Amino acid sequence: MSAERDVSGVTGRSDGWKPHGALAMRRRFMDRLATGLSLAATCVALLALCSILLTLLVRGLSGLSLVTFIHSTASPGMNGGLANAIAGSVIQTAVAILIGAPLGMLCGIYLSDYGRGWMASTTRFVSDMLLSAPSILIGLFIYQLIVVPTGHFSGFAGAVALAILALPIVVRTTEDMLGLVPTALREAGIGLGASKWRVIVFICLRAARTGVLTGILLAVARVAGETAPLLFTSLGNMDWSVSLAQPMASLPVTIYQYAGSAYDDWVQLAWTGALLVTLGVLAINILVRVGFGRKGA
Amino acid sequence: MSGSAVSGRVMPEGGVPGEAVAGKPAISVRNLDFYYGELKALRGISMEFPTRKVTGMIGPSGCGKSTLLRVLNRMYDLYPGQRATGEVIFDGRNIIAPGMDVNRLRARVGMVFQKPTPFPMSIYDNIAFGVKLHETPSRSEMEGRVEDVLRRVALWNEVKDRLKASATALSGGQQQRLCIARTIATRPEVVLLDEPTSALDPVSTARIEELLDELKKEFTIAIVTHNMQQAARCADQVAFFYLGELVEMDSTDRIFTAPRETRTQDYITGRFG
Repeated sequence: MSAERDVSGVTGRSDGWKPHGALAMRRRFMDRLATGLSLAATCVALLALCSILLTLLVRGLSGLSLVTFIHSTASPGMNGGLANAIAGSVIQTAVAILIGAPLGMLCGIYLSDYGRGWMASTTRFVSDMLLSAPSILIGLFIYQLIVVPTGHFSGFAGAVALAILALPIVVRTTEDMLGLVPTALREAGIGLGASKWRVIVFICLRAARTGVLTGILLAVARVAGETAPLLFTSLGNMDWSVSLAQPMASLPVTIYQYAGSAYDDWVQLAWTGALLVTLGVLAINILVRVGFGRKGA
Repeated sequence: MSGSAVSGRVMPEGGVPGEAVAGKPAISVRNLDFYYGELKALRGISMEFPTRKVTGMIGPSGCGKSTLLRVLNRMYDLYPGQRATGEVIFDGRNIIAPGMDVNRLRARVGMVFQKPTPFPMSIYDNIAFGVKLHETPSRSEMEGRVEDVLRRVALWNEVKDRLKASATALSGGQQQRLCIARTIATRPEVVLLDEPTSALDPVSTARIEELLDELKKEFTIAIVTHNMQQAARCADQVAFFYLGELVEMDSTDRIFTAPRETRTQDYITGRFG
């Protein structure tokens, strides 16, 4: 389709300079082959993404109404909405970021400006491991750490699990962004007689703020869509509940529970929930790019 | 007096008209050695920085002149593995000895860097930041202080209507003048300048050089420069460094007209470096 037109458009162009001989022919052929293959791969990926988004839009939008935001989940046929799941996701994500972002920033500051030797390299290694750790393991870890001792599932446990997922993202971006602050700027602050922490907090972090904020928003986008770490921690809740001490609903867990159910209205809710999560994450990503993209970082 | 520097006559008489470069030294360096890890970067430096005079420091890259400057406000403290031995006497104390309050020292011995380094905040806050570290002036006092230093660096008329605007939006020359304003706002006694004009255009450079003439009425100034003309124009005395040693220090006139060392002669006439 359009993919083929693109290929010919790019590779079939005559530049006025044409190599000749067998070697040149082979090179030109390889060039076209590589261009064609990479374009094809791009199209496959884009096609999959567009297909997902389109399906989500079509299926999700049909179930979207005011009821979705006002009613909590209910028994099949009771005209349920997603209010409890939306509130739960927002609360757990917010608490997770409130815990994870400051910790992650402190850790990133340590790695960038204070840490030396084995302590720093170990911290960096563990943080990078955490970045790629399976999220269900984090859920089980918090299950053992909080759910078992307290004897019940809770929104707080879910938030802590999400915080652990957010932590390494914030650590990494904070360290990287502080690393981009020129040494001269630090020395200028020190040269005025400022203490090291003052220079870091008031000058370096300020210089790196768009980058650090981008990292935090990316962490929000990451944890807002997580299901696995919540299965063993906040569990889910059919009813409206905003208490962190109680089991708490969330969009991803609700999708997980309803998508495979036998009731049409529950399946519809799962589609709508999926659409909301996707739009939310997409909005954050676009915000990051549009809001901070121009300043580099 | 420690006039026993390897080959540098520390206090020449005559040279510059008037009181020449004699006078009570603001900083006296005695037998200073400096190490970057194993590498010895300064060897037995002894020299004095006369009060309210401009001391120019010249020499090829890597000769140790910037290193010496960074000893005078203990900037090297930031980097483990760098250390200094010997004496640097400022206000009766050896500032490289342990137990020195380095933050207070840095307020009294200010520094301006090669590249302009405005903080990512407003013009006003750039100046207020340093002041607030050491004093707690009232709002009106602070405003007065900001205006005063901006006037002295001839920046006031250019920025008075946008003090709350970001300092990073200023031109390079304006930024460097802001950095000088920021440095003198903490009311230092000594101002160290590390090639302050090497990143600036000729017009901005000329303005900074004019500014130095004003500033030396109040501050002791040490300036590292690669620009011979700049040293000749601005400095009262000039020190020539080579391979970590102070080869020769004399009044500016003598260094540029009748240096005693052939190495100095070769360098200022452009035969090496």
